[in-house]
Amino acid sequence: MTMNESAAGTPIIEMRHITKRFPGIVANDDISLSINKGEIFALLGENGAGKSTLMSILFGMYEPDAGEIYIRGEKVRISSPNQATKLNIGMVHQHFKLVSNFTVTENIVLGLEPKKRLGGILPVVDIKGTDGKIAALSEKYGLEVDPRAKIEDLTVSVQQRVEILKMLYREAEIMIFDEPTAMLTPQEIESLLGVIRSLRDAGKTIILITHKLEEIKQVADRCAVLCRGKLVATCDVAATSTHQMAYMMVGREVSNEMEKEPPHFGREVLQVEHLTVKNANGFPVVKDVSFSIREGEIFAVAGVSGNGQDELADAIAGMADAAAGTIRLDGEDITRASVRQRNEAGMAYIPADRQNTGMIMDFTLAENLLLKSYYRPPYCVRGRLHREAFGRKSQELIGAYDIRSGQGADTVVRSMSGGNQQKAIVARELDQQGKLTIFVQPTRGLDIGAIENIHRQILAERAKGRAILLISLELDEVMKLADTIGVIFSGQLLKTAPVQNLTVNQVGNYMMGVTT
Amino acid sequence: MSTIIIDGMAFAMPLFIIAVGGIYSERSGVTNLALEGFLGAGGFFGALFVACTSSLFAASSQLPMYLSLLVAMVGGGLYALLHAVLCIKFKANQVISGVVVNIIAMALTDFLTSQINTSVFGASSDRFVLSVSSRFTVPVLSSIPVLGGFFTNVYPFEVIILLVALAAYYLLYKTTFGMRLRACGDNPSAVDAAGGDVAGIRYIAVMLSGALSGLGGMCFAYSIFANYSSSIYVGYGYLAIAAMIFGNWKILPTFWACVLFGFARSGGYRLVQVLGMPSTYSDLIMILPYLLTLLLLVFFSKNNRSPRALGEIYDKGKR
Repeated sequence: MTMNESAAGTPIIEMRHITKRFPGIVANDDISLSINKGEIFALLGENGAGKSTLMSILFGMYEPDAGEIYIRGEKVRISSPNQATKLNIGMVHQHFKLVSNFTVTENIVLGLEPKKRLGGILPVVDIKGTDGKIAALSEKYGLEVDPRAKIEDLTVSVQQRVEILKMLYREAEIMIFDEPTAMLTPQEIESLLGVIRSLRDAGKTIILITHKLEEIKQVADRCAVLCRGKLVATCDVAATSTHQMAYMMVGREVSNEMEKEPPHFGREVLQVEHLTVKNANGFPVVKDVSFSIREGEIFAVAGVSGNGQDELADAIAGMADAAAGTIRLDGEDITRASVRQRNEAGMAYIPADRQNTGMIMDFTLAENLLLKSYYRPPYCVRGRLHREAFGRKSQELIGAYDIRSGQGADTVVRSMSGGNQQKAIVARELDQQGKLTIFVQPTRGLDIGAIENIHRQILAERAKGRAILLISLELDEVMKLADTIGVIFSGQLLKTAPVQNLTVNQVGNYMMGVTT
Repeated sequence: MSTIIIDGMAFAMPLFIIAVGGIYSERSGVTNLALEGFLGAGGFFGALFVACTSSLFAASSQLPMYLSLLVAMVGGGLYALLHAVLCIKFKANQVISGVVVNIIAMALTDFLTSQINTSVFGASSDRFVLSVSSRFTVPVLSSIPVLGGFFTNVYPFEVIILLVALAAYYLLYKTTFGMRLRACGDNPSAVDAAGGDVAGIRYIAVMLSGALSGLGGMCFAYSIFANYSSSIYVGYGYLAIAAMIFGNWKILPTFWACVLFGFARSGGYRLVQVLGMPSTYSDLIMILPYLLTLLLLVFFSKNNRSPRALGEIYDKGKR
C-alpha cells in the first residue's frame, strides 16, 4: 500500500454531529466522521442505513438539520453541488448524471465549457480541441474511453469512467463513489477497484459507499459502519475481519451457514415437458426443457445470464407463450392458462425485475401488497374496493415480514429501499400459500442482511412442503439452497442432478457449456 | 412552376421559424403546444404597433413592417412568459398549459383588436389593416430556369427569417448556452450537477420560442392576410409542431419539412387553378398540407425520438 506519506493522517473532511430527518425517518442521527487526505474511506451499511444521505449532504444536495462540516480545517456550508465542486469535491452518483445524446467530451465539459472564437469574433464551444485533453486524462488514469463516442452507445462501466473523468476534469480532490459496483460484472469491478487505487496513489481522497464487504477488504484503508442512521464504529480495515464488519452492519450475528433440514420430498407439483419458448424474433431461446419439482424440493436453475432463464420463468409464470411442450401444475395442464388462472391454481412468482414486473412503483405499499387479491372479497365486494380491508391485510403483512418504510402502508413504493421493496413482493407472493413458488434472482442488489432474510424464507417454504423453483445467477446461492440443480446453457438443460452429486467446479463447467 | 416556388417559400419560411421556436422550447425539455398562441400574440403586438404608428410614416414606407417584426418578437417573447411561468415555476402539466395559452391568446387578441379599434381609432372593425409588403426579384439569378423561382418576387422577411434562423442555429449548436439547453432536454439533473441553472435556461428557451413564433406570425399576417385578425389562428402553429416532429427536433431537417409543406400548399392551389375548379374547392385544397402531415408522420417518424426529458417537470430535490 503506497500511501501519500506526508499527507496521510491529516483530516481533509470532518463531519460533526450531522443529523438529517426525512418524513417519518431519521436518516442520519448525530454522525461524526473524520476522513484523512489520501485514504480510501469506506462507508458500510445496509440499504437505507443512511450512507447515501450522509454523502449527499457532503455533496451539497441536502442540507443537514444539525451539525457542521469542516473541509481542510475550515468550517463550510455546502448548499449546492456547485459549491461542493468549488471545494474540489466530486461524486459519482448511483444513477449517472449524463446526457445520453451528447459525446463523452461534451458531457465532461458541460458546465465548464472551453471556448474559442470562430473567425476571431463569434464565441463557440470548443469540443474538438478538448477531445485530446480528455484522451490524455483518460490515458493517465487508465480510464479507456473514446472522447467522441455518444453516451447512449456506451456500456454502464464505460459511462462510469466518463463520470470519473468528469471529476478529474473538475480537479476534484475528494471523490465520492455511491455504490459504484452495483451494476458491474466481476471483471469490471476488478478494473474499477484498480482505478480507485491508482486515484488514491495520485493523492486523491476516496469515499466509497458500499455494502459489499469483500470490496472494502480489497481496497479500503478505513471504514465507517452505519446502521439505521447511526454510526456504529469506525475501524481500520486491515485489523477487522469481514465477519466483524458484517456483525456491526446488520446489528446481529449473520450466519453464512444456514440450517438446512434433510429433504422430505412429496409428490410432483410442477412438471415441465419438452418446453420450447421463442423470443420476439421467433428464435427459440428455451429448447426442449423438461424437469419436475416435488413438494419440499428446491429446484435451482443455474446458468450464466442470458441463457434462457428469464424466458423459462416467464413461460412457467404465464407471461410468455410456450411454442411447444406442456406445463402441468398439480397434474393439471396449465400451458395455455392465463396468469390469473395460474395464480389461483397456486403459483407464486417473484420476478427478476422487481421494479417493472414486481410492483407498480407509484402505488402505495398497501396497494402493491394486494395486487394479486384486490379483486376478491373482502378487498372487493360487488365491484367496490374496501380500503379498510386493504389496510388491515397490509398491516398484517408489514408486521409479519418486517417491511420498513417511511409512512407504513401509505408509503409510495418508489420511495422505499430496494431491500424493502423485495420484502414486500416476497410477502405478497408467499401469503398466497401456493403450491409452487418461483424465485428469479431473489437477492439481486440486496445487502447481506436482506439476502440472509430471503434465504431463510426460501428454506422455510421448503420446510412447509412447497415446491420451489429458484433461478439464480449466483452460483453460491444455488449451491447453498438447492436440492436439485439444473444447469441451463443456450436454452437447454445440460445437466440435472441432486446437489450432493455435483461440485461447484462441475456446475461452473456446465454453465460454460462444457459437458465432458 | 415558379408560382409554386414563390408561394411555397413565402409560406414555408414563416412556418420554419415558428418550428425553430418549437425546437428551442422542446429541446430544453418544455413541451410546447402553445406555438399557435405565441404566433398570434406576437402578430397582435406587431400589428398594434403598425396601427398606432401609421400616421408617423409615409404610406409607401416599408419601415413600419421591419419595426413590426421586431415588436412581434418582443411581444411573442413576453407572451411566452405565461407558458414558461406555468410550466417551470408552477410545475403545471405542460400539455394543458400549452392548450390554455392558445385559447387565452385567441380570445384576448380578438377582444382587444375590436376594443382598441372602437375606443382608440373610432372604427368598429375586428382587424388591423396592414400595408402590403413589397417584394424584390434578384437580377440574373431569377432568370435561371425553374430554380429562378427562389429569387423571384421574394418577400424581404424571407431573408430576415433566414438570417434569424442562422443565428438560432449558431446559438443552439455552437454556444455554451445552446449546449446546456440541449442537455436540459435530455437529462436536466446532469446540468444541475454541472452547475447549470435548469429553470433559468428553460425560461429563456421558452421566451425565445415565443419571440421566433411572433416573428413567424407577423410574417403570416403580412403575406397571407395583409391584415391582422383572429383569422390568423388557422392552425399553422400546430403545423409547425408537426414539421418539428417530422424534422426530429433538429433545425435543418425541420427546414426541409417546412419547404415540403409549403410546396404541398402552393401546389394544391395551383392544382385548383389548372383544373379550373370553382374557388370554393380551394378550401378543400387547404387541407392538403395537413393530410400530408398525417401521412408523413405515420410512415416516416417511427424512428424519430423526442428529447428524453420532454415534458418532465424537473424537481431539484428528487434523486
